[in-house]
Amino acid sequence: MLRIEHVTKHYKGSDKGITDLSLHIAPGDIYAFIGHNGAGKTTTLKCAAGIQGFDSGHIWIDGLDVRKESMECKRRMAYIPDNPDLYEYLTGIQYLNFIADIFQVEEKERESRIGKYGEAFEITASLGDLISTYSHGMKQKLALLSALVHQPRLWLLDEPFVGLDPKAAVILKEIMREVCRSGGAIFFSTHVLEVAEKLCNKVAIIRDGSLVACGGMDEIVGQGRSLESIFMEVVEHADADQDHEPAGAQ
Amino acid sequence: MLTQIRIMSRLELSNLFGWNVMRFSRDRRQKRKAAAMMLLWLLVVLYMAFYMGALSYGLVRLGCGSAVPAYLVVLSGLLIISFGLLKAGGLIFRREGYEILCSLPLARTAVVMGRLCRMYVEDLALTMVVMVPGLAVYAWLVRPGPGFYLTAVMTVWSVPLLPMAGAILIGGVIAGIASGMRRKGLVTAGLSVLMVVAVLVGTSRLSALEGNPDPEMLQRMAQSVTAVLGRVYPPAVWLGEALTEGSPLLGLCWAGMSLAVSAGVAAGVCVCFDGICRRLNRDSARHDYRMGRLKTDSMMLALCKREFRRYFSSGIYVTNTIIGPVLGCVFSGVLLAGGKDVLGKMLPTVLKAELLIPFVMAMLFSMMIPTSVSISMEGKHWWILKSLPLSAKQILDGKLGMSLSLVLPFYLASELMLWIALKPGPGELIWLLLIPAALTVFSCVFGIAVNLRFPVTEWDSEVSVVKQSMSALVGGMSGLVLAFVGIAGALLIPEAYAVLFRGGFCAALLLGAALLYGSNNRFDIWERI
Repeated sequence: MLRIEHVTKHYKGSDKGITDLSLHIAPGDIYAFIGHNGAGKTTTLKCAAGIQGFDSGHIWIDGLDVRKESMECKRRMAYIPDNPDLYEYLTGIQYLNFIADIFQVEEKERESRIGKYGEAFEITASLGDLISTYSHGMKQKLALLSALVHQPRLWLLDEPFVGLDPKAAVILKEIMREVCRSGGAIFFSTHVLEVAEKLCNKVAIIRDGSLVACGGMDEIVGQGRSLESIFMEVVEHADADQDHEPAGAQ
Repeated sequence: MLTQIRIMSRLELSNLFGWNVMRFSRDRRQKRKAAAMMLLWLLVVLYMAFYMGALSYGLVRLGCGSAVPAYLVVLSGLLIISFGLLKAGGLIFRREGYEILCSLPLARTAVVMGRLCRMYVEDLALTMVVMVPGLAVYAWLVRPGPGFYLTAVMTVWSVPLLPMAGAILIGGVIAGIASGMRRKGLVTAGLSVLMVVAVLVGTSRLSALEGNPDPEMLQRMAQSVTAVLGRVYPPAVWLGEALTEGSPLLGLCWAGMSLAVSAGVAAGVCVCFDGICRRLNRDSARHDYRMGRLKTDSMMLALCKREFRRYFSSGIYVTNTIIGPVLGCVFSGVLLAGGKDVLGKMLPTVLKAELLIPFVMAMLFSMMIPTSVSISMEGKHWWILKSLPLSAKQILDGKLGMSLSLVLPFYLASELMLWIALKPGPGELIWLLLIPAALTVFSCVFGIAVNLRFPVTEWDSEVSVVKQSMSALVGGMSGLVLAFVGIAGALLIPEAYAVLFRGGFCAALLLGAALLYGSNNRFDIWERI
């Protein structure tokens, strides 16, 4: 579904970025991406979403090159950033309708999807209000709803649980499982390691722009240890293992 | 309190004209852009300084030397009030940072004074550009006594205070009225445009005198100019007298009066600040939406509709970009009401008005075109368009479509009024229609080209994008410069070649627009913005 091969991206005048990063997200995967602040999670997600260029390497979505066939790739995926700055001068329903128009979603389909997921996230009553009146959590729900309107196969989510109320978080987790059951895939960054451990079948750990561990959750977390302790161990001792292949790298 | 005011003023001034970004940015491209922006401002300043010096020289040589100081004060005042009206509300009562400031242990007075300080520094810079070269040329030619220099040094800092106070007062009243409305941006824009048109129409007596002075008036020029200035802006004459008479005492009285009026206005703003900001920031959420039928649109229509909604959501964006087309309609309306004779009064008799009108209309319609800041105005929302399955062409076509559709009704109304007023023949009618249309189309495409190359997507206030960015300046000036080229050509080229010149002018504009359009659509917006 999403294949990232030896991607390097560095920002001019900054030591941030990603170096020779490779990952493979298969259909049905819920793939967690964890790392400290500034490690390169957002950069990776933006490169995969085709909204940021990269210096070298390749990214394919469903076998399509993100750089060469960006339009087709974007039709198949949805990207939601960690702080969804949506058009504050539109009402919620205007924003959803705009997204549906861009993806050319049929009238009936958009109505039923907005109706269904709007009720689930308890946001329907606010859809007539300007987005500028929304709280962070409501914007997050609206951004998720805008992705659900066109039903992408690949979801790229940057910290999707931040700002969501507990009920919305539960619903989002259920939606993520539903997407994967229907053959889609989700690649998301998070700092909430418990959620990653319980929800995901795969995990990647990034440190200073390089992968230090990736693979199945069962492979990474085993023998009764928690993802938290693995994360701390891998990140703390990454310097010593720099010359070795990332654990479970594909 | 003084410490707080100093801190807030330093904060407000820290990134004036992009200085802080240029100092600390590690991105070389961003630094280069900031440096280019400063260079461009410097060029504008030099041009204005030269113009003011030349104006002063001309007035002295015409025997109106005693009117020069007052003339400069009026010009500086008009510039400050015209620009200030459009930015006062947006700058002082701006939403950005309001909530963070509210949470800090800061007195509102410090917040207000910080914002007023920024406005004052900007206006003082404008005053200096107008006054210093003008007064220097005046002093060089007239050789006034030491009293003049003393008075000038003692008063020049106070010149921007009164017009600034006027702009803040009107801008504040507009912000206050708009704060109670649901469509705040649109109401602000409408009232601001109305006020600017009123100021420009109200001061048109000044330009009427410049255009057509009769011989008798020439003899009494200095008194006549002073009388006109007195009608436009009476306090300017008082300061003018203080300067020409070299009276520091009179000058100090003027400065004291300006300071007192400004302090009164500042106190008023401090009192109303919280109320207006709260009302402007108050969100009128209803939470009563019920799912109904959703209307589907084509991709292009959806993009255009979104552009329109973005446009009308920002008072300062609308105000600054709609003023040209509005003035175009006002100009046509004046001609319709007054007939062809009005032109005779507006222009010197040696100029053929019919030749100039298409270019004047073109200038008004292409002035401050919205496309020149349309990409910058996306700001933090730019990621949305980048993440959607849209090509650069589709995104830019949406912006172009909005700008052209915005100008179209004004263009049609103006052309209709001009057609009725001037009753042009078929040949003249073609140029009347074609020249403004060609320049408007070119300016719209050029505006996008400039904004693609000089985007500002990280900003804290719309004012910095709409009024102070490189693309606003270059994009806004392009139509003006090209219209002046057309006017110069129309005046200098013999009438036998007039059709050839006009045809070549339009063809060059349309060809340039087509080439730029292609280049814009190939621009790598994902990597470069």
